[in-house]
Amino acid sequence: MSAESDMEYSDNDGDDYDYYGEQDDCDMEAVDRSKSDPEYFVFSCLRVEEVEKLLNESIELLSNSLQITPSLAKVMLHAYEWNAQEILKKYQENANEVLVYSRVKPSLPLPQGNSSQSVCAVCAGVPSVNKYSALACMHYFCDDCWGMHFEVQIMQGVSNTIQCMAQDCEVRAPEDFVLSHVAKPAIRERYQQFMFKDHVKSHPQLRFCPGPNCQWIYQAWVRVGARRVECRGCELLTCFSCGAPHHAPTDCATIRRWLTKCADDSETANYISAHTKDCPKCQICIEKNGGCNHMQCGACRHDFCWVCLGDWKSHGSEYYECSRYKEDPNLGTDNQHAQAREALKKYLHYYERWENHARSLKLEEQTLASLKSRINQKVMAGEGTWIDWQYLWDAARLLKRCRYTLQYTYPFAYYMENGPRKELFEYQQAQLEAEIENLSWKVERAETTDRGDLENQMDIAEKRRTTLLKDFLEFNTNSASSSKV
Amino acid sequence: MANIAAKRIKREFKEVMNSEEVAGGYIKLALVNDSWTELQGTIVGPPDTPYEGGTFQLEIKVPETYPFNPPKIRFVTKIWHPNVSSVTGAICLDILKDQWAAALTLRTVLLSIQALLSAAEAGDPQDAVVAKQYRESQQLFLLTARHWTNVYAGGPSAIWEFDQKVQRLLDMGIDEHEARVALSHYDWELERATEQLFS
Repeated sequence: MSAESDMEYSDNDGDDYDYYGEQDDCDMEAVDRSKSDPEYFVFSCLRVEEVEKLLNESIELLSNSLQITPSLAKVMLHAYEWNAQEILKKYQENANEVLVYSRVKPSLPLPQGNSSQSVCAVCAGVPSVNKYSALACMHYFCDDCWGMHFEVQIMQGVSNTIQCMAQDCEVRAPEDFVLSHVAKPAIRERYQQFMFKDHVKSHPQLRFCPGPNCQWIYQAWVRVGARRVECRGCELLTCFSCGAPHHAPTDCATIRRWLTKCADDSETANYISAHTKDCPKCQICIEKNGGCNHMQCGACRHDFCWVCLGDWKSHGSEYYECSRYKEDPNLGTDNQHAQAREALKKYLHYYERWENHARSLKLEEQTLASLKSRINQKVMAGEGTWIDWQYLWDAARLLKRCRYTLQYTYPFAYYMENGPRKELFEYQQAQLEAEIENLSWKVERAETTDRGDLENQMDIAEKRRTTLLKDFLEFNTNSASSSKV
Repeated sequence: MANIAAKRIKREFKEVMNSEEVAGGYIKLALVNDSWTELQGTIVGPPDTPYEGGTFQLEIKVPETYPFNPPKIRFVTKIWHPNVSSVTGAICLDILKDQWAAALTLRTVLLSIQALLSAAEAGDPQDAVVAKQYRESQQLFLLTARHWTNVYAGGPSAIWEFDQKVQRLLDMGIDEHEARVALSHYDWELERATEQLFS
C-alpha cells in the first residue's frame, strides 16, 4: 500500500515534508500564515509507516518503563487514548486501578480453585493440561476454543476489544495471546489491520483521510471547531475535529445537522414543492395524483382548479385559459400550513444555493484541468514559461477556494438567528458572492483580461473571504488568536 | 465449528433436562429436528407479574458458530412487554447481543429471559408503543399485559372489559388479533382504534 501512495505522490516530489499543509502556491501568503489565514491550522500528513513508528514509540516507552510486554502496553494505551504520561503517573499512584481500568485485570477478585477444572466450559471437551490457557482473570478454556473465539471475533471486525469468554468477564485479550491462538495467516493479517485502524481511531491526535482508498493519516493537536487539513495524496479538505468535509465558517455540530437535514429532507422537500399545493380554502397540503385539473379537496370538499387555484364553479367550460390566475392566493398566511410552506421555502432557498455552489465547484475542477492544458500548450508554443502563466493557475485555485468557503456559508446562515449579526453576515456573504462571480468571469476569460486587473480581483475576493472567516469562525470570535499550538 | 456447536448443545440439553428449573416446571426445552440447530424453549410467567400463569413458547436457533456467537431467540407466543416486539417476538436483551459470552448456556439464557419478564428495561425498548404505555400509564400496561397473557399464553385472569371491546370490533368484521393490537396501541379507546383500523 505504501508503494502505491508513493506513486500517487511522485509528481509532488515526495520526500520534502511540509508540516504546514502545503496548500497554496501564492508566495505572498507564505510569510506568516497564522496571521493572514484565519483557517490556519498546524497539522502533518503522515504515511502508514510513520504512524506505526509514532505508535511504537509510545508502546516502547510504556513497556520499558513498566516492564510489561508491548501487547499489554497496547491494551493500556488503547484504554487511555494513547496518553502514556497519564498512564505512568496514575500507575505510580495506584497500579491496580490502571490495570483494572484498562481491563488487563478483572475488577472482581479472582475465582478460587477454578484453575484445575478438567472440562472446558465452552466446548464441553476434556483437553490435556498443556492445551489449556487463561487471561489474567484465570478463566481457563481450551486452546481450540480460544482460537475459534478469536477467529469469530476478528471476522466480525473486533480487534483491540476482544474479551474473555467467561460470563460477565470484561478482561481483554492482548495481542500476543490472540496471535498465539490463531494460526491462519489471513486471519492474523486481518487482525493486525484492524488493530492498526483501531489504534488510529482511538488516538486523539490522529485521523484517517476520509478520501476513497486514501492511505494518508493526519496528525494534529485536538482543537474544537472547524479545523482545516488537506491531504497530500488526494487533496481532500477535511475538518480534523469531526472528520466531515472542511466546513468553515460553520461549526461541527451545525454542519452535521445540516448534512443530516439535507439527506433527510431534500427528496421530501423536492417532492412537496413539485407535486403539491395547498387547498385555497382550507390550506391543507394536496398532492395531485391524476391528470385532471379539476381538484376536490379531500378535507373540505372545496372544488378548485389546480392551475390557477380559483373556484372551479367560475371556470365554466373555458377553464384551460385560467384567466383568473392573479386573483386569489393571499387567503390566510398565519396558519400552520402556510408556516410549514414558509419553512420549506426558507430551507429550499439555502439548499439551492448550497447545491449550486457544490455543482459550480465541480465545474471549477474542470476549469482547472483545461487551464492547465492551455498553459502547457502556450509554454510548448514558446509563449512564455510556466512562471509567466502561473498567475492564471493561482487565480483558478483561489477561485476554487473561495467558492468552497462560500458554499459552507449557507448552512451557517440557515441556522443563524435573525438579528444584526445575521444581517452583517449576509451582507458579507453577498459581497463575497459578488466578488467571486467577478473573479469567475475574469478567470474564464483570463487570456483577454489584463493581468493586473485579474490579480486585483483575486486580492479583493480573497480579502472578502478572510474577512468573513475572521469575523465569523467561532474560535476566532471567541478567542482572538488561538490557532498557534 | 459446527462440531463444537452440536457437542455443546447436546450437553446443554442434558444440563437443562436435569436442572431444578425443569423439575420445578419453570422452564422446558425440546428438540425441533435431529440436527440440533433448532430448539423450542418454554418459560412460565414469573409470579407477581402480569405474565403469571402464562406459558410462553420461544424459538431458539443455534448458529453454526455457536457458542462463539449467541443463539437467536424470539417469542413465538404473543406477549405485551416493552422489550419484546408485539409483532415479531424479537427480544431486546444484552446477553443475546453484545454481552454474549461463550461460557453462557441455554439454561442461563432462558432464566435471563424469564427474569426480563419480572423486570422490564423501559430505557432500552424493543417495542416503542408498549414502552410508552409502560412509562406513562403503568396501570393500563399491567392490564393489557395480563389480557395478552390470558388470551395467548393461557393465563388465568380474563379482563372482561377488554374482551368486550375486542368483541365489538370483531362484530364489525375485524380480525381478532388486529383488533386487539389496535386497541392495545390506543390505550383501549374504542373510537381511536376503530378510526385507525378503518383509515
